[in-house]
Amino acid sequence: MNQLIQSLVDALSSGATLGLAALAIGLVFGVIRLANFAQGEIITASAYSIIFTWQLGWYVAIPIALIIGIILSLLMEVGVFSRMRTATPATLLVASFALSFLLQRVYELLFTNNVQTAPVAPELARSISLGGIRVQMLSVATILIAGLLLFGLIQFLNKSIWGLQLQAAAADFRTARLVGIPASRVIGLSFVLSGVLAAAVAFVSTVKTGAVGPTFGIPIVVLALIGAVIGGIDKIYGALAGGFLVGFATSMLASWLPSDMSNFKDAFVFLLVIIVLIIRPSGLLVRGGTVRT
Amino acid sequence: MLTGDIGLIVSDLAVDYSGVPAVRGISFDVPAGHAIGLIGPNGAGKSSTLLGIMGAVTRQGTVEVNGQDVGGLSPEKVVRRGVSLVPEGRHIFGALSVRDNLRLGGVGRRSKDGYDDTLAYVLELFPILGEFADRQAGLLSGGQQQQLAIGRALMADPDILMLDEPSLGLSPTAVDSVFDALSAIRQAGKAVLVVEQRAEFTVAFCERTYVLHDGEITLTLQPEDAHNVDKLTKAYFG
Repeated sequence: MNQLIQSLVDALSSGATLGLAALAIGLVFGVIRLANFAQGEIITASAYSIIFTWQLGWYVAIPIALIIGIILSLLMEVGVFSRMRTATPATLLVASFALSFLLQRVYELLFTNNVQTAPVAPELARSISLGGIRVQMLSVATILIAGLLLFGLIQFLNKSIWGLQLQAAAADFRTARLVGIPASRVIGLSFVLSGVLAAAVAFVSTVKTGAVGPTFGIPIVVLALIGAVIGGIDKIYGALAGGFLVGFATSMLASWLPSDMSNFKDAFVFLLVIIVLIIRPSGLLVRGGTVRT
Repeated sequence: MLTGDIGLIVSDLAVDYSGVPAVRGISFDVPAGHAIGLIGPNGAGKSSTLLGIMGAVTRQGTVEVNGQDVGGLSPEKVVRRGVSLVPEGRHIFGALSVRDNLRLGGVGRRSKDGYDDTLAYVLELFPILGEFADRQAGLLSGGQQQQLAIGRALMADPDILMLDEPSLGLSPTAVDSVFDALSAIRQAGKAVLVVEQRAEFTVAFCERTYVLHDGEITLTLQPEDAHNVDKLTKAYFG
């Protein structure tokens, strides 16, 4: 029983992390049809900043990680993607691959190929007892951070006029412009929010590993992209739920697969993804997402 | 000749899609307080004309709104110059509430002043939108969605309201209700440009109706032509 609850808490934590990462991808995709693979490098940049500045205190390191996430995200938009407005989603995806590989090489040049380490929030690495059941404090903290972020984000999206503009643009970009919603404002906003989410994901992932290398963000963004696609990448909340499901399933498989099969947990996840996409190509959580004939 | 302040002047407007012409240098104007119709068969260039005026497609020629050239402006900036479009198929934001759709319509206003007055005007014009303010817009009936789409466009407080096939897919009662509202909007001094398939209805409603064929204006009809079957048949079939 204890093991089940522990693995459930870990799975919720992993799901929350990937949910945030997938939401960042879904926000941008909804507006400009860009599945930004280079989102992983925004996570990596924020993670490096946390490693290098943690000794200055969390109240310095976390704001710096946020600022770096937002600035790098906006730089990608201004420097690359804004110049490709008429490009197809496939071209944009390829461009984001190129940007991702370029930034990985930049990180190698700046910080070498070796991982950089620092004890980030070591107090969260301990386990605590909740009602007699021991759970990782980091897992609980991750669930709380993700929950608070999501609550704030949902309030912003549903209550503020800026959030409504972002939702409208994500639902129907052309009509949003015809209604008078400024394209540049909502695109910029989607990149700012994706930068904030990248910093949050970087924080919880850095606390978990304590080490950051040039490809730190890749495994996160791959799973987040898969989650966003199976949830329905063009629906903001679909991407979030899809990311959560993939994170949850990956963690549960890691906990419950026999030890000689645990290395294949990603293969099982990908198999699940293939099955879902065959049955519902538009995404698991998109209404009307049935097989195309 | 129609009299009244000229709200919209379109001169030599041309629109093409990758070199394939959709609109071939048409000119017309829409005075304030008048309704002007554009009719014609499918593919005549009616919707492209509206999108060209909005700057949503690449266009040539000039488009003047209240004496100011809006050529080269993005759709959102054209809205801020006083032109609103109710797109074909309504395109309301179905996942959002009626209230939020109307709020979003207000984003394109030239001035924040008078927002409450405009909202009161829209709710007076379409009381059902007030009644269903918290309902998800996608759950409204087709006629109610059309009212919402017009209400959303009016929230920008435009001088020129353009509608692309507002009767499409609506019941006769809903069509009457929409055109009653358009009458009131016209009487309030706004210029109305309406694209329609229903020729007889449009010709009767509008002070002047242009017939488009293959991207060109081929005929101008007056309200008294509404029941002239020969003229209407010629308008569509040449």
